[in-house]
Amino acid sequence: MRIGLGDMLSAGARSLSRYTGTLLSVFVVQTLVATACMFAMALVLSQAFSHLPIFDEGVDGDLVSLVESYFYARPSFTAIFGLMFGAVVMWELVSWFVVGGLYGVLAQRPEGRSDTARCFGASGASTYLAYARLSLCSLPAMAVVLFAISTGLGLAMAHIERALSAWDLLGPLFIGLLPGMLLLHVAWTITDYARVELTLRHDTHDPGVIATYLRSVSYVLRRPVTLVHGAIGWACVVLVTIAYMWLAAGHSMYGAEGAVILWVSRQCVSLLRTAIRVGVLAGQVELGRTRPQPPRRVEAKVDIKA
Amino acid sequence: MAAVAAIFIVVAGAACSRDHGVPGVKTVKPDSVPALRGGGPARSPRLANYKIDARLDPSKHTITATETLTWTNNGASEVTTLPFHLYLNAFKNEASLFMKQSHGELRGATKAADGGWGWISVESVQVGGVELLSKWKITPPADDKLFPPERLAPKDETVAELALPTPVGHNETVEVTFKFTAQLPEVFARSGYKGDFNMVAQWFPKIGVRSGPPGAEHWDCQWYAAHTEFFADFGVYDVTLTVPNNYRVAATGVLVAKNDSAGNTHTLQYHAEDVHDFVWMADPWMNVMSDKAKLEDGTTVEVRVYYRGEQKDFAVRHLQAGIAAIERFSAAYVPYPWPIMSIVDPPVDAGGASGMEYPTLITTAGDSVFARPGVRLPEYVTIHEVGHNWFQGILASNEFEEAWLDEGVNEWADTKVMDETYGAATSGIDWMGWQAQIFQLRRALSTDPSALPSPIATAAYAFVDSANYGEATYVSTMRALHTLEQTVGPTKFAAAMKTYAKTFAFKHPTGRDLFDTLAKELDQDLSWFFSPVFHQVGGLKLAIRSTSCRPGHPDRGVYGDGSNRKFVSDGESKDKEKEAGSYDCEVVVQSTGVVHVPVDVEFRFADGSAQTGTWVDHGDSWKRFSLQASSRLVEVRLDPENKIGIDSPVTHHERLDGDGAASMRAAAWLASVTQTLMGVVGP
Repeated sequence: MRIGLGDMLSAGARSLSRYTGTLLSVFVVQTLVATACMFAMALVLSQAFSHLPIFDEGVDGDLVSLVESYFYARPSFTAIFGLMFGAVVMWELVSWFVVGGLYGVLAQRPEGRSDTARCFGASGASTYLAYARLSLCSLPAMAVVLFAISTGLGLAMAHIERALSAWDLLGPLFIGLLPGMLLLHVAWTITDYARVELTLRHDTHDPGVIATYLRSVSYVLRRPVTLVHGAIGWACVVLVTIAYMWLAAGHSMYGAEGAVILWVSRQCVSLLRTAIRVGVLAGQVELGRTRPQPPRRVEAKVDIKA
Repeated sequence: MAAVAAIFIVVAGAACSRDHGVPGVKTVKPDSVPALRGGGPARSPRLANYKIDARLDPSKHTITATETLTWTNNGASEVTTLPFHLYLNAFKNEASLFMKQSHGELRGATKAADGGWGWISVESVQVGGVELLSKWKITPPADDKLFPPERLAPKDETVAELALPTPVGHNETVEVTFKFTAQLPEVFARSGYKGDFNMVAQWFPKIGVRSGPPGAEHWDCQWYAAHTEFFADFGVYDVTLTVPNNYRVAATGVLVAKNDSAGNTHTLQYHAEDVHDFVWMADPWMNVMSDKAKLEDGTTVEVRVYYRGEQKDFAVRHLQAGIAAIERFSAAYVPYPWPIMSIVDPPVDAGGASGMEYPTLITTAGDSVFARPGVRLPEYVTIHEVGHNWFQGILASNEFEEAWLDEGVNEWADTKVMDETYGAATSGIDWMGWQAQIFQLRRALSTDPSALPSPIATAAYAFVDSANYGEATYVSTMRALHTLEQTVGPTKFAAAMKTYAKTFAFKHPTGRDLFDTLAKELDQDLSWFFSPVFHQVGGLKLAIRSTSCRPGHPDRGVYGDGSNRKFVSDGESKDKEKEAGSYDCEVVVQSTGVVHVPVDVEFRFADGSAQTGTWVDHGDSWKRFSLQASSRLVEVRLDPENKIGIDSPVTHHERLDGDGAASMRAAAWLASVTQTLMGVVGP
């Protein structure tokens, strides 16, 4: 059976309606990590600024106060960027488990809350180390991506520095970044399909990580629908983000009430983006099922006594 | 795949290139105005007068020229040698003082790794028709008191000396004739070419300045250093330029005649009076737009902007800023004395030529996609460079020795013009809801003066490094003058500055002249300010040292002895001033730098009431304020009106109780950014 783009997209929608609870659980974990990060950052900032009203003015939109505050407590801002980086790296590590669990649920389609939870946990745990090895396998590709992005940016920078109009700026930037971003999309899609393969065939075939990665390279390059499907997902994520920025522009949302509204609206946007990502994973599983099965790994068992 | 790559390359090439087409022959009409606005007598002593006949070779970017200098010795002592600047030799090789100091990088522009060198070659020097090339000697910087060993440049060729056959006595005149060839460098610092654009500055042999007390005069003729280049005598310039007839030319002075010449060229004759330099620009792609600045006396100044097509939107902004600058500087100091101001907006790839000041002609900068309307960097550069026509162009101080006197004073004056033109709250930025005053923005982005190892009044070549030179000369001076202005009152200060400008127009004022004029006009001894601010390291470090506020109560305890012994408790008020419900508060303010200025202090209480105090002592390093109030002290604010510009304002305002609401809001925003990034790397 040959699966098309429409099937992949509808599989995403179906899975989202079927596993809404799983989606919300993943989102809650993401929110908890971000919230913990927020409290840590608030602590750092209040250590530096709780007695200095100039920072309040900066947060309320006074540019000079913001600049003065930044230069006054530069180490605090360095610490904040460290926290942000740490949170993102930690989520990357957590995501190996979360994605493994999601793929497991989407592949095995368990019924009921407890079975779904069991399946999620078992799949996430059983594939975690394989995903970790897969990340190592994808490092050379990521190095190529980084090289392409840095080279493209370097070539574009000379034009960007002299840009007079938005076209002068965005044109070279787009052209400079496009090869790197395309390569990045290909690399991520390959990793995604390798993960699907490792999850789907884990119990029956126990496929090797390197072999799976190489098979996925070939598969993704032969099936452009994999790339188009992923690109649609990223386009939706970008559109949601831009729409939020457009709607939020000009709404300062001062005070405690504003802060709450802001937090809730941002969480809604994050939930939407997470749903899009999970929908894409579901489509990948749908397509991954149709892939030819990998050869079984045959391990020679030696009887020492014999 | 190859086809996709080919399309990509074609699209990329199209997106990244600009096609100008073919330049046409330029129609040029002489200016029908005198070189001094409204005519009239000479404004300056006119000691150094030049006649130059120059021809541009646009393909080689060379200028072949003859020059006749008529110089008058107005000193009491006789002169036996004449020193000349040969500033293009700064770009001749890496042994020049300029290249040693700049390492081929200046103001964000970098010299091309190889080639593009510039130089000036003097082929003949004559006095009274006698060839004196044998008496012409390059004099490199050899004074190890002036320059530390690591900065000595024994092969520098930016100054040469001519030994005269006969001395020039008091009020005598000498006429020196040169033949020279100037090769423009590929521009990365002020002067040079880029493509068809030619910015011809510091291009001819130019005599130094004889200064000092009568009878003990000496020559001021410094080598071309990285940061400073201006100090010259006023005079009259008659300059004839022969360029291709499809080139647009902007130059110092007024165009008095234009003649067509052989080989598709035309000859343009410029005349300038009471200026101390002559600069010109030639470019076939330049357009020009103009408008008039109206001065208070009803006369006008024509302001022209030279720009390339793609920079038209920015040219409009430069024109408006240029007009505002001419009108407001004229009103604040002395009227602009010349009829034309030319503003050259260099091409975006010739950034090294941008942001420079010359008499009646400046180059501006700041054209960028990031300088959206409301982000006033282009306007600020134009106002700054036009402002130099007063602070250096008219008040011709010695930039080598006292760079702050033109750059820094001008910087302060620019902030006034920006505030008046664009509104005080929005003079720096007014974009997408973000607003900033230019002074506050400049201060926020600069280094605290107390952290700089070289004080403001340091000779430009003696600063510890370029960063210190830039911070102290430009921003610290601006911050210092702002502080003094706010301390003595803006109206009085403006009047004193106007007197300084009127008194020293078309002369060579020094820092001492400025200090003395301000002290005299403001009728007070300001040495408490000038000495530590301009000559000492340490700056102003003002802070709230401690605060406390306790509920007030009568002085409790045991009073008296024997039968008179009495116990006093909370309920028995002995001191009517310390009634129950009152608060005793104490605030200690400290000033640990070398500068001490009067400080206003505002105390805010929980019930919304406020008290103020002032700390006027100039010598003390701390002051204790004891307050009684009906409510608890919640905030202390030093300098509530932001008069003190030389200190960072961050810790000037403190609240006694911490409040983490703003921190939480900021953290919430940062966490949402973090969550977005998390969504990219994971689900």
